Amino acid sequence: MRRYFLLVASFSLLLGLLITAWQENRQPKAISLTPTLTGQVEYCLTCHADLAEISTSHPVNTFGCVLCHGGERLSLDANLAHSTMRGGKNPSDFSVVQASCGGDNCHSGTAGNFRNHIQRATTSIQATYAGAIANIRYTFGVQPDLKARMGIFDIREPQSTSGITELAVFNPTQETNLFIQAFGQNCLTCHLSAPPLPKSAYFRFTGCAACHTPTQSPGRMDTEQLQSNQIHKLTISISYTQCDTCHNRGNYNLRTLTFEPRQDLPADRLHDYYQPIGQFTSCEWILDCIDCHTRTEAMGDGNLYSVKKDIQYIQCKTCHGTLTDLPLTITLADPNDLAFRFALLNPVIDIILGDTLLVTEKDEPFWNIRVLPDGTYELFGKADGQRHVFRTVKGSACLQDPARQDSGSCHECHSVER
Amino acid sequence: MSNRTLSRRDFLKLASVTILTACGLLGLKGLFRFLNTQTEPLPPTEFELGPASNYPPGSRTVLPDIPALLMHAESGFLAIGLVCTHLGCTVEGKPDGFVCPCHGSRFDPQGNVTRGPASKPLRYLRVEVTSLNDLRIYTN
Repeated sequence: MRRYFLLVASFSLLLGLLITAWQENRQPKAISLTPTLTGQVEYCLTCHADLAEISTSHPVNTFGCVLCHGGERLSLDANLAHSTMRGGKNPSDFSVVQASCGGDNCHSGTAGNFRNHIQRATTSIQATYAGAIANIRYTFGVQPDLKARMGIFDIREPQSTSGITELAVFNPTQETNLFIQAFGQNCLTCHLSAPPLPKSAYFRFTGCAACHTPTQSPGRMDTEQLQSNQIHKLTISISYTQCDTCHNRGNYNLRTLTFEPRQDLPADRLHDYYQPIGQFTSCEWILDCIDCHTRTEAMGDGNLYSVKKDIQYIQCKTCHGTLTDLPLTITLADPNDLAFRFALLNPVIDIILGDTLLVTEKDEPFWNIRVLPDGTYELFGKADGQRHVFRTVKGSACLQDPARQDSGSCHECHSVER
Repeated sequence: MSNRTLSRRDFLKLASVTILTACGLLGLKGLFRFLNTQTEPLPPTEFELGPASNYPPGSRTVLPDIPALLMHAESGFLAIGLVCTHLGCTVEGKPDGFVCPCHGSRFDPQGNVTRGPASKPLRYLRVEVTSLNDLRIYTN
């Protein structure tokens, strides 16, 4: 009996050793990388060498993978290597963004030049959803006015100059009004921390990547890429189709308090807008959203706001001026001007010192719009690089009333047929 | 003829010894492999560049492996590190200096910052001419 036991034990030992040796031999040959920024070896490229560079600003030889994504840098076992990744495949999700993208030299930055990207994005109305929440709570009599009191997450911003310095977390289950509960269950789908709706036309990531990682291309979606979520790209060249993953995707049904996503895939920007009564000038459907709407409008300026119009300020006259005044401009005299940085990161225009660019009322440069010697203006699309030339109101036959700059006023004459 | 049939006892003994020997050999192989594991080498801090005569006076040579720009000036050999002082990307040489392709920092031909976000000049590296008249660069 003892001999049988010895045989079985030794056989088991051999089997164990063989399995271990087999597993060892199955491991891929490690590909190491020592990024300049960290100086620490990581083996992620052993499996991920086929991934494209995420952007020219984040080359893998400088940043590596672990600095942004987390994970166990020395493990060759996929499960172990991925076990401590931040945000799964998306390290820019707001729950982990500070650890992934933050830092004084990175996207925490300083308020100067609005380089505090994370602080701005997380306090922006697209992240807090404070406007919609305030609106619904006011509508059903839970709060006395439209001032935002609650947001998607608890946030305090003592430096906020908007009059709102904190938002409590909105918890629909603590609301007594059934309609607000329903709103909480059915309508919290289009803030930057919400997962996208299931339909592929709405597919986007959360956090910074919701806008800066392109999941939708104009007129085309790469279904295979969407299914694998292997979109390794960050860009400031953001097409309107990316904005459409939240905007122009359906409408709220106020009877059922649900969001009703549209069933078609909008392909024609002009005719497929979800509100049939919407009116547009050519700028509004030929250009991309980011050609007019500035970075502080989209990403916030660090203050907490109640509604979108508190932060949006671009009007027709920002580019076209008024009957008496030309639009504001700035002549590039400082080589450190922020415009050069944008033009480098998204090289749709080649600007040089001495160029005169448009600038907004809040001194944000339209780095993609240059004044030409003949007094006209050229705009290069930030997403498609297309060149457009336009004129000012001054000197034209326009009967503009400078005090009426809402879209309806200009649409009276300039809307296109739909 | 001798009776050479293997008894059950001997068979079990032989089988056990054979298997244990195989285990021992496999174990030794594993141990050998473990002891021979090569640790990841640290990035080099010294670079041999070969004969100094390969770099004539007035020459400017980009050394991508370091990365650095080696210049043979009147005063001797100079090397500017091409690692951007902002976040460590490799800067590119331009007629008017150096440009970082990552975030747009610019440096003049001497390596001084002319445009941010970098705030420190490019680093000068130590260049040594050996007794055999070879060049060596130190990055630490």
